[in-house]
Amino acid sequence: MNNVLLVHAHPNPDSFSHELRRRVENGIRSGGAAVRVRDLYAESFDPRLTLAERRSHLEPPSAKSHLQTYFEDLTWCDTIVFVHPTWWGSQPAMLKGWIDRVWVRGVAWELPEGARRLQPSLRNVRRLVTVTTHGSSRLVNTLQGAPGKRIVNRSLRAICHPLCRTEWIAMYRCDTAERSDREAFLERVETTLLKLSR
Amino acid sequence: MKALVVHAHPDPDSFSHALLERVVAGLESAGHDVAVLDLYAVDYSAAMSCSEHLAYSSSEPILDPVVAHHAEQLRSCDILVFVYPTWWSSYPAILKGWIERTLVPGVAFDIDEESGKLKPLLSRIERLVGVTTHGSPRWYVKLINDNGRRTMTRTLRACTGLRVKTTWLAMYELDARSPTRRQRFLERVQLTMGKV
Repeated sequence: MNNVLLVHAHPNPDSFSHELRRRVENGIRSGGAAVRVRDLYAESFDPRLTLAERRSHLEPPSAKSHLQTYFEDLTWCDTIVFVHPTWWGSQPAMLKGWIDRVWVRGVAWELPEGARRLQPSLRNVRRLVTVTTHGSSRLVNTLQGAPGKRIVNRSLRAICHPLCRTEWIAMYRCDTAERSDREAFLERVETTLLKLSR
Repeated sequence: MKALVVHAHPDPDSFSHALLERVVAGLESAGHDVAVLDLYAVDYSAAMSCSEHLAYSSSEPILDPVVAHHAEQLRSCDILVFVYPTWWSSYPAILKGWIERTLVPGVAFDIDEESGKLKPLLSRIERLVGVTTHGSPRWYVKLINDNGRRTMTRTLRACTGLRVKTTWLAMYELDARSPTRRQRFLERVQLTMGKV
């Protein structure tokens, strides 16, 4: 891990999710990796893919130059770390929208003539890390099929480096957790990110 | 019966829009009272705001009159239909945001203070329907994701109760399909919705 793109989505700056994100950042910086932070709520990102973006969906990224800096993030990094709460089993709309709008043809994937599935373009991305909190238990999430985990660890991973590794760091039953459990999770998150960044 | 159809596609000329029209035609032919919520057409704001998040666990979690209206429509419907293109194996953000902002405590569920268990409040809904399109082939969707379906038929069921019936109509490899195949899918959708 040398170049880390940290993508964060939580509306409340005083939330536990923001604490998590600070610890993630601390861990990465102490490990010596470079980090770019995208706090989607703080920058008022609009998660809705637009009509013009939809119509230019198969065109090169230059047709969507207003998203250029987001595209550069993706091609710059070797690791993406997502920090978000899990709502209805998956990423908040804010983060889903960042995926919908930024993972475009020419940056994240290609679709050559006759191909039936996307061909990977993000060979620079060798690790996908998610740090998330769930209100429900691990059992409930497993029964629901863990959609959020599948979106990142399967769908997104499929267009990254073929040996891209995934880490899923999750806290369950977060709403009823004691402060000590939360502290322990924060510690675990910082230590894990520090180890990965060395 | 009352049907609420939630649609999410930015392009009025899209195949998804054609599907929406067929869904409505089918439901109307069966004599249902249909309300359409076309999220892009009403410029729906997708992201839950900070103040909404703060109010989430309070007695009044809804702050936006638009969301209050949607919650009212949701509470009074018997059939809930989602029509959307599958992007990154799940809902477009605008639809995911609609779920997050509308299905709040007091509308979709209540949490029992003592047991911490979730009590469904949408038990009026008798049928959940998903109509979607995928770019990927069926085997791929089945093998690695199908998250939109999982969310509707598993997670949303926590709010409707387990006896709800579900109908899932999906077209795979949309981009590679001939106009005839597309036409057949449109007809199948209308026919199935006419029998709901």
